[in-house]
Amino acid sequence: MEAQALQFFIACATAAGFGMAIAAFGCGIGQGIGLRSAVEGIARNPESSGKVTVTLLIGLAMIESLAIYALVVALILIYAHPQAGAIAALFAG
Amino acid sequence: MTRNSKASSTVTIQQRILTFVTRSNWVLLAAVSLLGLLAATPTFALGIIFGGLIVTINFHLLAKTLNKALHPQRLASPNVVLIKYYIRFIISGVIIFLLIRQQVVNPIGLFIGLSVVVASITLATLVELKKLFFKEAV
Repeated sequence: MEAQALQFFIACATAAGFGMAIAAFGCGIGQGIGLRSAVEGIARNPESSGKVTVTLLIGLAMIESLAIYALVVALILIYAHPQAGAIAALFAG
Repeated sequence: MTRNSKASSTVTIQQRILTFVTRSNWVLLAAVSLLGLLAATPTFALGIIFGGLIVTINFHLLAKTLNKALHPQRLASPNVVLIKYYIRFIISGVIIFLLIRQQVVNPIGLFIGLSVVVASITLATLVELKKLFFKEAV
């Protein structure tokens, strides 16, 4: 039974690791594409830097919040799983 | 509408959205924190306050960094921009890690707090959309 509880927590840690990796991959690509397009736009038309910067700022804030959500979920899975106590008790009993 | 006036109205919309988001971040944070303090447990309210503060301060610092990095008149060194970006990111990560590791805050409250910026951006978009539809209807 304890082995099953251990397996559960190993699965949680694995899910946290993969989840964070996938989120970082997706957010990194998204931010990279956004930034590249913004820099290209400003290089072509320097006068538009104000408009582009505001749009980029909002886009980056949205993407960054997704990465932060993933980090929080990963940390919850590892350190503060809401059902951790109940599951450990279930398998121990 | 001439080309110049079209461009200036677009700048106005962009600046208006930014101003709205910057202000509504603090307003939403204050409102949700107050609601949390009144109607939820202390750890839940603490989660909202910490989460909201983290993303709101992050947003302001990101705005400052981007303004310095992308305005051709006052370009900052790319290394400085990168270093500032990573320092900001690492500090927020460490704070969130400590908050969850030490179980100082309720995770759901933290989630709500972290959604303050997303909510205010969505709100700003909805307000602009409403204005656009209303203008077109008139």
